[in-house]
Amino acid sequence: MNHTRTDNAGKELLDQIRAIEFMTVDLNLYLDTHPNDCRAMNEYNCYVRQLQALKREYEMQYGPLANFGNAMSTCPWRWIEEPWPWEEGI
Amino acid sequence: MWIYEKKLEYPVRIKNPNPRMAKYIITQYGGPDGELAASLRYLSQRYHMPIPEAKAVLNDIGTEESAP
Repeated sequence: MNHTRTDNAGKELLDQIRAIEFMTVDLNLYLDTHPNDCRAMNEYNCYVRQLQALKREYEMQYGPLANFGNAMSTCPWRWIEEPWPWEEGI
Repeated sequence: MWIYEKKLEYPVRIKNPNPRMAKYIITQYGGPDGELAASLRYLSQRYHMPIPEAKAVLNDIGTEESAP
């Protein structure tokens, strides 16, 4: 198995992505039951913007983070690159 | 439609492989009272919710809970 999908810089980027995504998941769930809280929603939108930028940066270098049309790939098809999250804990 | 994200919600670093512990953890995920069963319950309960807030929260928790 070729376990070379990320280097240290990639792992650091991924940690930032995870931290921001944690905020978006939590704010999303909160907003589901508090849809009129505009302050929380602005915060949510702000994290979404940051998340999109970071994911784009990560994916350009290390390959797609999501399947089914949510990220582009270079050739050859990078989605099949190992390790998968259950193999190396990324 | 579900989209797979090729990363973990939280990073895992296994320093010492421990088969017995692994069995407990895999049961927490896929066992009879595990997260996988819970997520499917949330996702079928959402069909019976009368208000938008409840539909959304069950949809989203069911989605999050099924993330391995």
